Amino acid sequence: MFRLMRNVHLILGLLFCSYAMLFAASSLIIIYRPWLKPTHSEHEQTLRVAAGRAQAPRDVAFELIQNHGLQGDLRDIKQDGDAMRFVIARPGMRSEVRYSAATGEAKIRTRREGFLETLVQLHTNHGFWHEFMPANAWSLLSLLGSVGLLLLGATGIYL
Amino acid sequence: MGAPSLAGLGVAIYVWMKKIHMYAGLLSFMAFVVWGVTGIQAVFLPAPGEWQPPPVSGHKEFPFAGGGSLDDKELAKAVFHAAALTMAGGYYDVHRDEAGNLAFLVYSANGQRELTYLEKERRVRVVFRDSGLGDFLSSMHAGHSRRGARDRSSRLWGYYNEFSTWAFLFMAISGIYLWVATRPGMIWALILSGVAIAVTALLWVATR
Repeated sequence: MFRLMRNVHLILGLLFCSYAMLFAASSLIIIYRPWLKPTHSEHEQTLRVAAGRAQAPRDVAFELIQNHGLQGDLRDIKQDGDAMRFVIARPGMRSEVRYSAATGEAKIRTRREGFLETLVQLHTNHGFWHEFMPANAWSLLSLLGSVGLLLLGATGIYL
Repeated sequence: MGAPSLAGLGVAIYVWMKKIHMYAGLLSFMAFVVWGVTGIQAVFLPAPGEWQPPPVSGHKEFPFAGGGSLDDKELAKAVFHAAALTMAGGYYDVHRDEAGNLAFLVYSANGQRELTYLEKERRVRVVFRDSGLGDFLSSMHAGHSRRGARDRSSRLWGYYNEFSTWAFLFMAISGIYLWVATRPGMIWALILSGVAIAVTALLWVATR
């Protein structure tokens, strides 16, 4: 039994070691954030989306994701007449989009977080409702990691 | 007494590393349980915008003579301190309600509280929305030395969380050392380790 538990402890430890380090590191970044001063970069761009493909914010977002390289979940949708605003976000990246059906222009302001803040956003990423599939995969890893953590603790106590 | 041999030094490091690994695990065990439960619960949290506060679980009123020359922000601070709510982290969304009374929210580890200063009656009404055990643990898992409610139990838990985070990092690293020091030839362990690192790296690249 001891040998089995020792191997289970090792298996769980190896399976979740990189993920455990990611969580431990991101926790420390949250705690010491004022000292670490995470960095980010921002840039703006304007893209044209044909009015025929932009009946609703979701259409514009779909067009931007399919043909202009934006990736993430669609959030914070607001529509006022022919003006639309929404956010396409994923861990470490957030693009605020303003689209005017009158001009057919989508003005996009993108904020790309540095390594440290991206770790923090992966830490707080949760749920299986994401349209951005890697975010769901991180959530699955988080679920498995949490179960693994409990089992690691239990097997550790046995050992 | 002669100098210790290299092999002897290696054994001594191993013995001490194993001891510290074990005691770090025992000391931070409760934090791991809280983190594990919180991590499982977090997966099933609603998407942004779909969160609903828990139902009202109770009311309380108490006399309060405030106001005077205080502005709304200062008045809210005075009411917040007078309410002395258990494990309250801070007050937010200070505003005037439809009746012109000062109202604001307080978040505590036990759930959301809605405070209203009834100026004419000179009383404070507190509406409690107690959260479940899962939300309580989730709040507690997020505390650290500089974050969380001001009361002693929250502060102590915050320091314990912070200690456990360092212990967690140490155990991940010392765990690898203990594996390599005792069973370096285990092929399946090497493969498992490689696959886990590759999956994490692949996900990182896909996300960035």
